[in-house]
Amino acid sequence: MRPALRAGRDLGFWALCFLALAVVVAPSLAMVGTLLQQAGPALSLHLLTATTANNGLQNAVLGSLLIMLGVLLVAGPIGVLGGIYLAEFAPTGRAWLLRLGYETLAGVPSIVIGFVGYVLLAQELHWGFSLLSGIMALSAIVLPYVVKTTEVALLQVPSTLRDAGMALGLSRLTTLRRALLPPAVPAIASGLVLALAIAVGETAPLLYTLGFSDQDPSLSLFQHPIGYLTYVVYLNATLPTRLEHEVAGAAGLATLLLILALIGVGRLASRRAARFRAQLPT
Amino acid sequence: MSLTGTPRPAADAAVAVAVSGLSVRIASREILRGISAGFARGRVTAVIGPTGCGKTTLLRSLNRLNDQRPGMRVEGEILLEGQSVYGRGRDVRDLRRRIGMLFQRPNPFPQSIRENVALGARVHGLWRREEVDRRVEELLRRVGLWDAVHDRLGSSPFALSGGQQQLLCMARALAVDPQVLLLDEPTSALDPHSTARIEELIGSLRERITVVFVTHNLQQAARCADEVLFLLAGEVVEQAPVGDFFQRPADLRSRAYIEGKPV
Repeated sequence: MRPALRAGRDLGFWALCFLALAVVVAPSLAMVGTLLQQAGPALSLHLLTATTANNGLQNAVLGSLLIMLGVLLVAGPIGVLGGIYLAEFAPTGRAWLLRLGYETLAGVPSIVIGFVGYVLLAQELHWGFSLLSGIMALSAIVLPYVVKTTEVALLQVPSTLRDAGMALGLSRLTTLRRALLPPAVPAIASGLVLALAIAVGETAPLLYTLGFSDQDPSLSLFQHPIGYLTYVVYLNATLPTRLEHEVAGAAGLATLLLILALIGVGRLASRRAARFRAQLPT
Repeated sequence: MSLTGTPRPAADAAVAVAVSGLSVRIASREILRGISAGFARGRVTAVIGPTGCGKTTLLRSLNRLNDQRPGMRVEGEILLEGQSVYGRGRDVRDLRRRIGMLFQRPNPFPQSIRENVALGARVHGLWRREEVDRRVEELLRRVGLWDAVHDRLGSSPFALSGGQQQLLCMARALAVDPQVLLLDEPTSALDPHSTARIEELIGSLRERITVVFVTHNLQQAARCADEVLFLLAGEVVEQAPVGDFFQRPADLRSRAYIEGKPV
């Protein structure tokens, strides 16, 4: 091939790469831009000091943070323990069944999980629209991610470390705790953070389980509906006044900021994970 | 796992580990085919043979490291000081404390250098709390690592060179006071200096610990071992004192292997 032709082909390739990048970046920029523009005039401290009843977001921000905390407390331990069991203890047949289980759960649309949560939790168990119903529904949605990332994090730890623990006569639990978990923790943490980001962005399952309230959340687990950010986006966009639209934009922006912060933390964790792995024996 | 009625190994007072009629299958593949061998107490036995002949499987059968492998079946008998290794009611963790192991690549725990040495001994309840520091120093001196690490016992072992990491693994293995040490090509990933250090250490263990030493390096076998066990395709070709094996191999296949010819 002639050099000029080759140079032309390289240039074309790079142009395509650049174009692909632009296609990815442009919508993100448009998103942030639109939200900023939409929220613009409403962006003030008033958002954090007033509840949605007075065109603020205080109750919704608190609600969203509370939900995150709840999901972390429920889906975190269950998911991490499930992943550990799958990676280290489950016999092949049972592991296969459990994997099938969580992969199925991951495939269930969130609105369906919300509906099931409504029937089982809000009605059957009489929890009503409440923090606990909402946290359980969201936990069911993010659980597969937590299990999966934990399992993969442990499977990526070189098996020579398993050998080392066993050959020294350590119990499987001690081997897990002292040899396998330390290098897996950053990856597990980044999985948890991703799960929280998903939880903060969900709306559909909460419509049926958490309800909505204009008041600041109480810490009551049962029968008390709670406000949260994504619902404000959904609701206010349908309301008539300009100010209400601006609050919708601000709520969208706040959700985005929360998720970006979580992604940032997750990135830091997975960078640590990569550095840790690079040091480990192969 | 099933044990069949194979003849019990001869009660030889000089043998620490006796293997008789040992067959190991993984799924339908037969890795070891009814081998018998004895590892003399306080001696170094080199296990040699071409890749895939079952050396590592033999080693990992001795401390039951293959127990968790799916589809794995072990038949025959292995005795450690007269006690069946696979016998009913055998405490596997205690067995593995008695039979230590060093692997092809150094695999220190993601813990501090001190913790790497002390963890096993502490878990097995061998050291009193107040003697830990002294014991750790003793072991690190014994493997020749003390001068390099005495000022960073609390830091990660992964900053050490591969050779140093392997020496640390040696200290970790020796910390639980094993009767037998299994070495699976422990120097194949190391530089010549570290290799020499490990070989020196193996020599220093003689009389105190029974060493079973898998190696691909025949010179190394000749240098370090008292006895040679030559495996081929899952069977024992010859077990003999090292001088006899290299100078007067009893089997034509041994001679061919030593001379680097196809066997």
